[in-house]
Amino acid sequence: MAKTTQHEAVFCIVNEGFAEAVMDAAREAGATGGTILHATGTARPDSELTFGVVVQPQKEIVMILVDVSIKDAVLKSLYDAVGLQTAGQGIAFTLPVAEVVGLTPHVKLKEDSDSSENPKEEVKEPQPAHEQDNKAE
Amino acid sequence: METNKEKAKAIVDKAKTKIEKAKKTVRSKVAAAKSPLAPHKLMLLITVVPRSKAEFYLDLLQAFEVNMQLEVSAFGTARKGFGLLESDLEKQALFSVIREDNLPQAVAALEDKFATIRGGKGIACAIPFTSMIGVVAYQFLSNKQ
Repeated sequence: MAKTTQHEAVFCIVNEGFAEAVMDAAREAGATGGTILHATGTARPDSELTFGVVVQPQKEIVMILVDVSIKDAVLKSLYDAVGLQTAGQGIAFTLPVAEVVGLTPHVKLKEDSDSSENPKEEVKEPQPAHEQDNKAE
Repeated sequence: METNKEKAKAIVDKAKTKIEKAKKTVRSKVAAAKSPLAPHKLMLLITVVPRSKAEFYLDLLQAFEVNMQLEVSAFGTARKGFGLLESDLEKQALFSVIREDNLPQAVAALEDKFATIRGGKGIACAIPFTSMIGVVAYQFLSNKQ
């Protein structure tokens, strides 16, 4: 068996447009970066419109390599922000990984001073990226 | 005086790393000799690299007896605004099935290329297979007849 490292790969599958919300939640828990893959869900066989057009649910998979020490915090953060009870309808799981290379050492910036001066805003339901763009316009 | 100490320390460190490498090699060889008939384990090597360098890394990994690779277009999540262009976020995720005994060499080669190739930085990790079915499929994936 190959040696296991102190990292785990977090996979989070969400509805299309929620990958940024996933990354925001993961960053809050200490993750640094991730990779977004596009995918198609297959859970609903009855996903057919009356016009006879089959609509396949588009998904996004976010893959994040995290330290084992923050794995639980990241999962909790993802569950709260984009879990099944939210519009993102995300599921998240982790897999053990071996032989990690290419990660740059990261020093988490202290945001305590900022947060004490500017208390956190009320938590809002995450919106898909394209809706956020529309609002900005 | 201190420089001599530092030099000596560097030599000791170098020797230690060489010994560790040698130990690893011996261990893997002993394990292979003990169970020559035991099937080798397979690993799924995930490599995320800039899109323009994907072909290069696919070819590189193929040299380590990788018979099946899957290439998926992906995007990085770095925040824009630090002089990053849209194209900088375009990545390619490579999924390669590799035999466990080839993994250390492949990872070492990747690490070397990540550090030396301009604009070729990426990350890689491996996830172990826990089970699979089909002898022919296994033989194909492990490159063992």
